[in-house]
Amino acid sequence: MELQLGLSLPTYNFIENFDLNNGGFEPKDQMLGSKPWISCEDGNYLDNKRSFEVAFEKNIKDASQELPLLLWSGQPNDEDDWNGEKKISRSINKNDEEENQVVGWPPIKSWRKKVLHHQHQAGHVVNSARMATAGNYEYGTGSNSKYVKVKMEGVAITRKIDLRLYNSYQTLTKSLISMFAKCKNLEKDAARYSLTYQDKDGDWLIAGDVPWQTFMESVQRLKIVRNAG
Amino acid sequence: MPNKASTFPEEVLEHVLSFITNDKDRNAVSVVCKSWYEIERWCRKRIFVGNCYAVRPDMVIRRFPELRSVELKGKPHFADFNLVPDSWGGYFYPWIVALATAYPWLEEIRLKRMVISDESLEVIAKSFKNFKVLVLSSCEGFSTDGLSAIAAGCRNLRELDLRESEVDDPSGQWLNSFPDSFTSLVSLNISCLGAELSFSALERLVGQCPDLNNLQLNHAVPVERLAKLIRQAPQLVELGTGEFSAKLQPEIFSNLAGAFSVCKELRSLSGFWDVNPAYLPAVYPVCSGLTSLNLRYANIKSADLNKLVSQCPNLQRLWVLDYIEDVGLEALAACCKDLTELRVFPSDPFAAEPNVSLTERGLVSVSEGCPKLQSVLYFCRQMTNAALVTVAKNRPSMTCFRLCIIEPQAPDYQTLQPLDLGFGAIVENYKDLRRLSLSGLLTDRVFEYIGTYGKKIEMLSVAFAGDSDLGLHHVLYGCERLCKLEIRDCSFGDKALLANAAKLETMRSLWMSSCSVSFGACKLLGQKMPRLNVEVIDERGPPESRPESYPVEKLYIYRTIAGPRLDMPGFVWTMDADSVSRFS
Repeated sequence: MELQLGLSLPTYNFIENFDLNNGGFEPKDQMLGSKPWISCEDGNYLDNKRSFEVAFEKNIKDASQELPLLLWSGQPNDEDDWNGEKKISRSINKNDEEENQVVGWPPIKSWRKKVLHHQHQAGHVVNSARMATAGNYEYGTGSNSKYVKVKMEGVAITRKIDLRLYNSYQTLTKSLISMFAKCKNLEKDAARYSLTYQDKDGDWLIAGDVPWQTFMESVQRLKIVRNAG
Repeated sequence: MPNKASTFPEEVLEHVLSFITNDKDRNAVSVVCKSWYEIERWCRKRIFVGNCYAVRPDMVIRRFPELRSVELKGKPHFADFNLVPDSWGGYFYPWIVALATAYPWLEEIRLKRMVISDESLEVIAKSFKNFKVLVLSSCEGFSTDGLSAIAAGCRNLRELDLRESEVDDPSGQWLNSFPDSFTSLVSLNISCLGAELSFSALERLVGQCPDLNNLQLNHAVPVERLAKLIRQAPQLVELGTGEFSAKLQPEIFSNLAGAFSVCKELRSLSGFWDVNPAYLPAVYPVCSGLTSLNLRYANIKSADLNKLVSQCPNLQRLWVLDYIEDVGLEALAACCKDLTELRVFPSDPFAAEPNVSLTERGLVSVSEGCPKLQSVLYFCRQMTNAALVTVAKNRPSMTCFRLCIIEPQAPDYQTLQPLDLGFGAIVENYKDLRRLSLSGLLTDRVFEYIGTYGKKIEMLSVAFAGDSDLGLHHVLYGCERLCKLEIRDCSFGDKALLANAAKLETMRSLWMSSCSVSFGACKLLGQKMPRLNVEVIDERGPPESRPESYPVEKLYIYRTIAGPRLDMPGFVWTMDADSVSRFS
């Protein structure tokens, strides 16, 4: 299909409804009429547009940016919606910290989320101290999350994960591999990296040397390091 | 008339124009005729740029040689919710370099969602002789080193506001950089800082600035320090406290209560991080004067919260967590007759089950009881069409209505129907509605209502809604004043977008992520609409490596007179005519 206006679209079938070649931007009148939500004014608007364009057909090339690139037909998506591919990019992020959570939903400022985490973590520390001094007020239930930072050698961006989502070194490692796979060929080279963690005393240790529970109690942050040699 | 206008002496017209401060009015003045355009541009003192990529700094400078105040916005709004990848852009540096040489008398910079380096802050500190106001809202990229430079260099600073910015490596020592002779501060918002502040420096600063009327502290200021700070500044009108979590000690309590009771001017309270509710009665003395209460970070549970709110009959603005529950909102509706703005945030948005009893009933109560209500942001877990219809009929004067039902695509929980009718009633009744956010189960029908009735809507946020292109078409075709449209996870695609391409030039921006817009359509738009920047954001790699009919991950379209931007990271592709020919 040659298009006068030089509009070449990817070849969807629906484009045939919008043959920009037939000079008239033909509105599909009966279609408009059959849709209760397209009011008479809509129809008139399109009619007016058309007569304008017909009248100034010679000049509309330059004016093309003021015209729709495609005329609305009043017909919703055709059946050939990329063979059902349209849901392909649903923003469910399976590898990210909040497993199976939709990224950015509910819409709460990420800044605020950080504050909440901070509060919860601080709350825990303060709370246990307070318990020791038999303080006279109850602290809330606190959080079920344990967020730690993960850094990978050679990768600029640090990630944060909720360790409570994992119950073993194995699940954690698997998730980290997919998380950083974008940056490095981690899946292939997993053996060349080790997972280390910083404990409460600030010492860096190899993850996996102590039972998972002990690890969970003392881990402060994680780092994926390249093995020497 | 035109003749008479043009024979006006310039000075007179300039004087008349000095009374016109509204941006839109100034713009209208400037298009009357050439001479008005000239006069207007020479006497324009303030400029607001809603998208830092819509114009280049040199263009602004050429047209407006005498600016004193610049306000810029950077990243799209959805950046707040992590939908815009890091390093997307929104850099302030090119702007400040240009502003620094052009406007030695610049007094105010207000930025939102921009990336600001310490170097940029240093340029501000040393370039402007009479710099007064720095507001960095949801900004990032700088550290306390940059703040030190501002503190040391801006001798006439009146306002430093870092609201919701992310500040790196926060060290409290930067406050020491304010010189001893510094007295001009009127407003200081450092609530976003993470680290402990130097209390001695803070106390000195508060003590030496007699005009300080707004002080927003960070969580690290303990309650026992607060009393001393307040006593030094009894003139405060707005106060954000630090944490309120110390164990109750009678002497701290009475000291605090005493300090608050001398703050006769206090109108706005916020902060209350980590509250021990036993301290709350200390603020009761000022409550009757409060018009604004922000408890967004206060984990005060229902009973204490409601006791606090009931002390504040003159509230106009309340931000609160959902701990307030339906009963609290009912009480609020009964006692706060001046309420104009209500925001209710979720205390535990990711919990599977409701942790509080907050439903559609709370919203209905407030809409019934608060006749001046204009703006609502409401997070809840259930809604009905009937409730929305009631809310719509109760408060036709609403201008901002944002409802977030936490579970995506939740239907009316009683009838299991979509919420089309409910939101339809909202747009039909709220004749002055400017901002609308939709949630819940919605079909194309709701967009038909929005296109038909939402004639004044300027900003619309849509998520998980609609069935087809028709929905988007209704909005683009019908909402005449639409300025910003943000859409995520909807099955809107090429047809509606291309059919309404011209509409996009009348808008500031359109964001679409996880929708059905193909790369081919993006290319076509970019090619045919030279005044639009069509940017495809795809972290999966170059979009041309996939079939043209594939939907793009994210799409950001905005009108611009600056052409394609030059600072795009590797995951952003702009669809200008050149790049399109390169691709094909």
